[in-house]
Amino acid sequence: MKKIKWLVASLFIFLTGCNLRVLDPKSETARDQSFLIQFSFALMMIVFAIVIILFVWFLSKYRENDQNKDYIPADEKGSPWLEITWTVIPFILLAILAVPTVSITFEQSAQVESTPANAVQIEVTGQQFSWTFSYQNGVETVNNLRLPVDRPVEFTLRSEDIIHSFWIPKLGGKKDLIPGKTRRMIVTPEETGTYQGKCAEFCGREHTKMRFTTTVMEESEYEQWLQEMKEKIE
Amino acid sequence: MTFELFNRTFFIATDVLLAYIALIGTGLGVLYLVNRANKWSVIKDYVTTTHHRKIGVLYLLSATLFFLRAGIEALIIRTQLAVPENDFWVFQGDKFNEAFTTHGTIMIFFVAMPLLIGLMNVAVPLQIGAQDMAFPYMNALSFWLFLAGAILVNMSFFMTASPNAGWTAYAPLSTAEFTPEAGNDYYIFGLQVSGVGTILAAINMIVTIVRHRAPGMKMTRMPLFAWSTLVTAFLILIAFPVLTIALYILMFDRLFGTSFFSGEAGSPIYWQHLFWIFGHPEVYIIVIPAFGIFSDVISTFSKKRVFGYTSMVVAIVIIGLLGFMVWVHHMFTVGLGPVVNTVFAITTMLIAVPTGIKIFNWLFTMRKGVIHLGTPMLFAAGFIPTFVIGGVTGVMLAVAAADFQFHDTYFVVAHFHYTMVGGTVLGAFAGIYYWFPKMFGFKLKDGLGKAHFWLFLIGFHITFFPQHFAGLNGMPRRVYTYTAEDNIFIFNFISTIGAFMMGIGTLFFVWNIYKSFKNPDRCGNDPWNGRTLEWSVPSPAPEHPFDPMPQVTTIDPLWEAKRNRGGKLPVANTSRSAPIDVTSWQPVGFSGLIMLFSLSFIYHVTWLQIVLGIMVLAFFALRTLTDEHTKMAREGEDHDNI
Repeated sequence: MKKIKWLVASLFIFLTGCNLRVLDPKSETARDQSFLIQFSFALMMIVFAIVIILFVWFLSKYRENDQNKDYIPADEKGSPWLEITWTVIPFILLAILAVPTVSITFEQSAQVESTPANAVQIEVTGQQFSWTFSYQNGVETVNNLRLPVDRPVEFTLRSEDIIHSFWIPKLGGKKDLIPGKTRRMIVTPEETGTYQGKCAEFCGREHTKMRFTTTVMEESEYEQWLQEMKEKIE
Repeated sequence: MTFELFNRTFFIATDVLLAYIALIGTGLGVLYLVNRANKWSVIKDYVTTTHHRKIGVLYLLSATLFFLRAGIEALIIRTQLAVPENDFWVFQGDKFNEAFTTHGTIMIFFVAMPLLIGLMNVAVPLQIGAQDMAFPYMNALSFWLFLAGAILVNMSFFMTASPNAGWTAYAPLSTAEFTPEAGNDYYIFGLQVSGVGTILAAINMIVTIVRHRAPGMKMTRMPLFAWSTLVTAFLILIAFPVLTIALYILMFDRLFGTSFFSGEAGSPIYWQHLFWIFGHPEVYIIVIPAFGIFSDVISTFSKKRVFGYTSMVVAIVIIGLLGFMVWVHHMFTVGLGPVVNTVFAITTMLIAVPTGIKIFNWLFTMRKGVIHLGTPMLFAAGFIPTFVIGGVTGVMLAVAAADFQFHDTYFVVAHFHYTMVGGTVLGAFAGIYYWFPKMFGFKLKDGLGKAHFWLFLIGFHITFFPQHFAGLNGMPRRVYTYTAEDNIFIFNFISTIGAFMMGIGTLFFVWNIYKSFKNPDRCGNDPWNGRTLEWSVPSPAPEHPFDPMPQVTTIDPLWEAKRNRGGKLPVANTSRSAPIDVTSWQPVGFSGLIMLFSLSFIYHVTWLQIVLGIMVLAFFALRTLTDEHTKMAREGEDHDNI
């Protein structure tokens, strides 16, 4: 009973989990992912509910008691129809889940060939244990990423040493930085604000501290900030 | 802390110092007790034995000890993570990384595997009517090789060189350039040596099941634990050599300057492919036997045969096959492209179908039965909802685009603990309570068993359920702290409370074993009103238990005999001759030799490598020239000479 209560309470947190970062998307990429998470969760809850109902029902109804303790149940080998039922229904549920999975995964896993015309180009370099961001005008920042709102950003991801993983939960899922390889990722932030960014692949002693902040700002502020930074270097 | 000795200053971390004191103290205590009770002959008996039941007990005993060690690490990890920006003892940075690396490595390889292989050793020969495992000598060798590997990984901590690249040891972090210390060499050699033992155990299981079934025990009449053992053994036979190769290549990169996983021609991705081609089947290797245990336990405690026997067997086989086709779901974020990601997303989802079949078959085995909630059945019942939660989050993780968010977060940590603790550990506990009488002749106490179950299960859910939310709120795996602004404090704090509850539950288990030995309730051959052959032989199971050899005419032969024949199994006219039981110091000696050989590589002592290498080869010659068959034939004993 205690367990079930706890479960219900936790489910409630889950369903109202708008303040969980992954379920509070600020870009289309993250929104699609959040949709998949919630959609798959809803489908799976159907399965879970059926199992729990049968489980509680059978366990309470057929539990040993004083009346039935000497009773020998009839021999029952199985039931083809029932077995076919619980083979086919999961197939159908999975087919329903497969449709959005395939379409969104296909789109989001695609190698980026062409860059959108107005895209901001940012080179991201991961190293033990910090992030370096290089902007088009030669400005570099460490552990501090600034982006303009409503413009596509193309990240070019490289690693200096070992595998890291670039992750801004509110803007989208992660992409690994593989030494010797270049990966690209495009997102369009849709709201100004400050978001957490993290290295998600274990990379050694201070992996924990390999974090950065992402500040999404109005286009004009962004341009002004870039200009100021540029002047500082010169 | 530092201290002065012989005018030199030495440094030793306090956790290592404390562990030394605890180890030496416990060791001396055990020696004293053994000596006082005059049990040296028992120890000699177990060290030299080749009997399947005793080897099974050795597996279970060592697994329990390693479970306590890795469990303490889990509590350390949870304590460090209890509150934001915590500074618990020494467990930040490398120390924390070492703690989660050895926690994972030990729990998978030296707890989950030996718990299940131990139960297979105890139960499978008895379930199918075999007198012993097909190769008793090799069986002992499997155990001692496993133990040698386990000791290597465990001793690394005492040599202040724990592996620290995660249990997955991703290159290039695990290469000498980034982790030059001996830690990851201990990992390589420990897993390599115990892996050889595991492969030998798998061969032994396959031959035993194929060759040594009682007359009439067709494959289609085998208990499901024996079936799951057979499928698992094949998975081991295919998957473990891949690990062997991966570790071998990594060893070359670390010790001999090759660059398979780095540089121009090499790639770190190769390690991930190799590791997960092994690693994913591995999770089925450790869960399928648990499925088998639950099938037998649920059927026995519901007084009904298992529902849909054929579909149960087919489901295990399909899970085993699909298990080899899903490894890339650990690598969705690597960027292998849209086709690869979607194909592996689909194959991963498909595994839910055979797993679902098994869940519903278990539920319908209970329906219309008479369910006796003894301790083994409690664990089996607790398994169903727990594992289903792990299963549904598994399907959610299979959705590749969603996995871009889930990957490497606490959501994944929660998921695999739900499957591995919910499946493997609950299964192993169910199996231990269930077959304990067959090992020692008495049951574990039911009351303490129930306390153990409830504390462990409730503690488990309190520990791991909140971790789903910590993950969704952006908490990556393998971090040693977090900030208050991360808003994950409450999830972590609850989780830590649950972890200690599981710890207390485990203490009840240990206490239960102690109390049951102190004050045993002898229980006879058949304490659970069993259905299968192992309950027809005396408890504890003797050597050559099937005398006369039963003739099997049906599934659940003992149950049928109890219903229709007054409990007497029909006797077979023919019987298969038994494997040769010997007592031998060779397996333990050889494993010790292999351990020293490994250490000579870990610490780069070339002359010792040569000497020990020659000794290992000499041992092979010695073993080749040992002939037990001729001696047995001269003595006129009936034996199996395959």
